[in-house]
Amino acid sequence: MVNILSYEIKHAKTLGKKVLENGVSIPFFALEDEIKQNQHEIKNAIKEVVLKVLPKKREKTALLVGTSLIDWYLVDAINDLAYEEKKPYTSQKRSIDSYAKDLSLELGLSGFSMSINTACTSSANAMLEAKNLIEAGLFEYVVVVGLEVYSPVMSSGFYSMELLSATKPKPFKEDRDGLVLGEGVGAMLLGKEESSWELKGGFSNCNSETITAVSSSGEECEEVMLKALKNCSLHVEDITAIKAHATGSYANDEAEMNAIKKVFKNPPEILTIKEQIGHTIGASGVLEIGFLMNMKSKSKNGMFMCNYFGFGGNNISLIVEKKA
Amino acid sequence: MKLYIKSYSTYIDDGSIDIKKELKQRYKLDTRRQDRFIHLAVYGSQLLKQKCEINEDDELYLTSGVGNIDIVQKTNTYMYKDNQSLKLFDFINLLGNTTSYYVAKSLGIKGKNIFQISDNFTYINTLISAYCSIMASKKDVIICSIDLSSNPENISKRVMGVKESCEIKSCVSYQKFSLQSEGAIGEIEFDLKESLTTSEDEKPFETYASFVLNSTLDKKENLEYEDISEGKKRVIKIKSLI
Repeated sequence: MVNILSYEIKHAKTLGKKVLENGVSIPFFALEDEIKQNQHEIKNAIKEVVLKVLPKKREKTALLVGTSLIDWYLVDAINDLAYEEKKPYTSQKRSIDSYAKDLSLELGLSGFSMSINTACTSSANAMLEAKNLIEAGLFEYVVVVGLEVYSPVMSSGFYSMELLSATKPKPFKEDRDGLVLGEGVGAMLLGKEESSWELKGGFSNCNSETITAVSSSGEECEEVMLKALKNCSLHVEDITAIKAHATGSYANDEAEMNAIKKVFKNPPEILTIKEQIGHTIGASGVLEIGFLMNMKSKSKNGMFMCNYFGFGGNNISLIVEKKA
Repeated sequence: MKLYIKSYSTYIDDGSIDIKKELKQRYKLDTRRQDRFIHLAVYGSQLLKQKCEINEDDELYLTSGVGNIDIVQKTNTYMYKDNQSLKLFDFINLLGNTTSYYVAKSLGIKGKNIFQISDNFTYINTLISAYCSIMASKKDVIICSIDLSSNPENISKRVMGVKESCEIKSCVSYQKFSLQSEGAIGEIEFDLKESLTTSEDEKPFETYASFVLNSTLDKKENLEYEDISEGKKRVIKIKSLI
């Protein structure tokens, strides 16, 4: 049994705007304390939330990060060499995982770090990977971080795909017109100690009609939901509520709703979060489960299915339980 | 921790093969909207597919030292140097799991698919993740290790922690692993233990341990290989079973 022992999430509180390089203004959920796109600020943002959840036995703790961030160490190496006056040769082992590795050393953790990039499912997948590491007996604790900061490249990419709303996110609404991106950072401590929240398990796959979308019937979403239930030895009647992926994009919401209707003859309560914090892409796994835990903190108990569907065919359904 | 190797493939890109052309003509694959990194990964997967049975629910882990440098350089140039709009498929290829999507499609896998990078010992840490995953799922797992040398290659070197004189290469290696020994051609043991070393890290690519595993099996030898990263070493024990 792997439990969620503590968590810390930072997300936007209000909907604002960002202006893209082409001058187009887009709605965006920005953090009050902006995290700039540089190595120092990103590392500090992760450190701030990780410090809030660390266990006493730091040396028994692994650190996993789920993010779709661009590797800024690599961008700097490119800038140092490819365009400007070449800087003298220096070399240091760097990658998108350097934030996690550096923090693991600095904070006295086990030294095992990993950064997972599976687009919108990144930190949800990291949670399932963390559960495996604990259940295999390799670590007593794993801190899972979800991270996403405003990126002109990412926003321009979504804009060029015509996936962004011009107004606000309206998940599952008839007049929905696209998603609104957001930024945030969260950390979750997983371990076997007692807690009122358990990560029951889930199922993750790579199966979609195209690289950017599941089929409108939602069969790929249906598969992960059914297999998540099976892996957790649960039945549809056991689910109290569904935390839907619900981006507000027309096609993906349609696919997810079709899948929910197929899995649940009488669907339970459906919760959507992105209209409040935006779509935080790689961070959404940790941030939205943390948000759900805040929402349900006064509930006596409940079994919650949490869905995430991403680019690259990655789909995952996690199940968390609030125990009395 | 021990995993049994059912099959493997390796390809070092020395420029002698036009990989994109090979994928189109020999393997009849659609190569449009993809780049060199994806082509190399998919080419390696086809070499594996020729040698073993791939199951739809096999798990897939893809790891790399840095990832797809070319696409980061290309998008960075578009956006910040040339002030052009980002092209649609460059944006999609920028995501790490785009490569693993195309690999999964080429192998016919619809199961778990993770793209991950660990700053130190990315291959061994991926072995550990994969081992823990199939301990839970009881499935087989395929690991793809890929590093593509950049142009200019000093971009790669600057984030590898190596001397400027180090010769680097592009390589893709695959293994299909199982917890079951039946039909295995080799086994690999690994753990979390790290120790200090004075040896310098001069690997030609970050996932060199994956290449060494396949080379050892090719020669039907046994080997204790020390992977080195930033003054520390980890050991993998490779045993050929045929």
